[in-house]
Amino acid sequence: MADLTAEGADHIAAKPTRHAGQSGFAALLPLAALLAFGLILLVFALSSAQFLRPGNLFQVIAQSSILAVLALGLTVVVIGGGENTLSGGIDLSLAANLGMGAAIYAVLAQAGQPDLLAIPAAILAGLALGAFNAFAIVVLGMLPLLATLGSMTLAVGIEQVVSRNTTILVATPLRRFLGGHDPLFGLPILAWALLLTSLIFALIVHYSRFGLNLQAVGGNPAAARAAGLNTRAWTAGSYLVSGFCGGLGALFSVGFLGASSTGSAEYLLPVIAATFLGTVFSRRLSPTIGGTLLAALFLGVLANGFQLLNISSYWVAGIQGVLMLAVVATTSLRRPL
Amino acid sequence: MTDISFARPPRQSRIPLTRAALPLAVALAFAFFAVFADGFAQWNNLRALLVNNFALLAIVALAMTLAVHSGGIDLSVATAIDLASLAFVAALAAGYGVAPAIIAGLAAAGAAGIVNAFLIAVLGITPFLATLGTLFIGHSVQQLTTGGGNPLFVPFQQVPPALPFLARGDLLGLPVPVLAVLVLAALIAVLLSKSRFGRQSLTLGLQPLLALYSGIATGRVLALVYILVALIAGITGIFLSANVSAYMPFSGNVFLMNAIGATFIGTTMSASRAPNVTGTLVGVLFLAIISNGLLLIGWDFYWQKLGAGIAIILCLLISSGKARHPQ
Repeated sequence: MADLTAEGADHIAAKPTRHAGQSGFAALLPLAALLAFGLILLVFALSSAQFLRPGNLFQVIAQSSILAVLALGLTVVVIGGGENTLSGGIDLSLAANLGMGAAIYAVLAQAGQPDLLAIPAAILAGLALGAFNAFAIVVLGMLPLLATLGSMTLAVGIEQVVSRNTTILVATPLRRFLGGHDPLFGLPILAWALLLTSLIFALIVHYSRFGLNLQAVGGNPAAARAAGLNTRAWTAGSYLVSGFCGGLGALFSVGFLGASSTGSAEYLLPVIAATFLGTVFSRRLSPTIGGTLLAALFLGVLANGFQLLNISSYWVAGIQGVLMLAVVATTSLRRPL
Repeated sequence: MTDISFARPPRQSRIPLTRAALPLAVALAFAFFAVFADGFAQWNNLRALLVNNFALLAIVALAMTLAVHSGGIDLSVATAIDLASLAFVAALAAGYGVAPAIIAGLAAAGAAGIVNAFLIAVLGITPFLATLGTLFIGHSVQQLTTGGGNPLFVPFQQVPPALPFLARGDLLGLPVPVLAVLVLAALIAVLLSKSRFGRQSLTLGLQPLLALYSGIATGRVLALVYILVALIAGITGIFLSANVSAYMPFSGNVFLMNAIGATFIGTTMSASRAPNVTGTLVGVLFLAIISNGLLLIGWDFYWQKLGAGIAIILCLLISSGKARHPQ
């Protein structure tokens, strides 16, 4: 009965994972996924003249930026917490965090406060929710699923109290900047903002000491601890990053919509789908920043292409679900259970 | 299938505060509203609380308890609820009687369960992601069948008298939905504690590899779990439709998070931190008292939601107080 703990779960989980499978099959998957992505782009391009216009493509990127930035946060949490969805890292509060931050920003802007105050307020609110998650998970030892479920309710409550569940229009310099286009190429600022954010995240997570430690903590906590890492601090840090992403997503969303939105809960499931769909773009079939970005864009392209091809948008959720299932089914085939 | 959700060091049980936190919270909440909310403790209100706030969520939470007991989770209970409701109303609207309509509803919910069973038991996808996928697909299915989310009504002349009886009637002195909760709870409690299936499910929940190596047909147990979960959740869909004589698309979603919350809060009442029927029911009762009481106390609507959220979080925090991961 010694191994009944969540740590024990990690040991069990660590044994039969996909990392062992360096077969040709696994190495081919990312390539196949990219090919499939390319093929779908091609089909859309051939069937709709609109699709490949830079204006449209960058609009898709701008549109996907909100989902993508949230998914980047979740990716960091999953990398740092391990991929086991119940005892590992998960952050269900991200979408609600966005709603809360957007409401706070919009209410402050409406009250005539400058961006100089409203922007840090939204980001700090996101960080505070992240800190709450970190406290509940690392200090109190709550399951991430449960802790972030709780903070999600909290964030939804705060959003509703702050915004009184209404859409608040904003016309701030931030909105004009993020909602606009750059003067040089005429591309949406949000698309640039997403690409820049992803680049910074990719550099930190995949090319720095910080990222290496994070992956060690998520991949094998016991080994990371033996190597002298303070695993609790890293786990806490990953939830802070995720909270920051929630705040950033709030600003993106206000920039894109020109308003705070009451529908942030819609992002909850696509964010999880994008993160796990993204694993197929990595050689070890684990979450990566680049993979998540590609997956989020892929989901955006799919919705956009359907629109252009006049396919009912009612299919979108179902196809996203089937794709995600197909990906996780291929990656879990080698597991004994 | 290495999702271990509730496994905690057994010594946690020695801390009485942890196990008593939830019943205490229920008693405190009840006492608080009895004093501060006019009419809270009157029988009429308590009955409304049981029928409107407690019963339907309790059925979903009991279903969730089965999933969490086997070490998994089911995010697609919302799909099972909605599909059952859709098929039930569609059958009634097509002129079928109540009994065939109920069977149609349960069959539709069962279909969602079979999809989950296939994904989890055959393809080996973790329950969280498998049921998330089913939830997505269920969303599309409902959009496609209802033209994007239009409700479906049983024509007024066709509403059989059995519908209001199902939703609000009394049987053996109890409202029918509450009676259904009690019967289901008894059945599930016996199933989990006395049957071979229950013990196998518990082993899976605590030590999945141990279950596999001891020769338990894990695939069969899991398939059965997820089909049962969907069928039970489907009952909620039928009660929901019976109440309003209509199918409202995506109405199952409101139950999902609360059902998960109640189940996990309920685990604090068990010595081994396993999900259990009593704990789940007390957890649901807590949520029901909070939402009913805050409504009566006449708080601003949006502060009510925040209040409910804070109450749930406090309960979670207190009950998981000492259950930290060992270093």
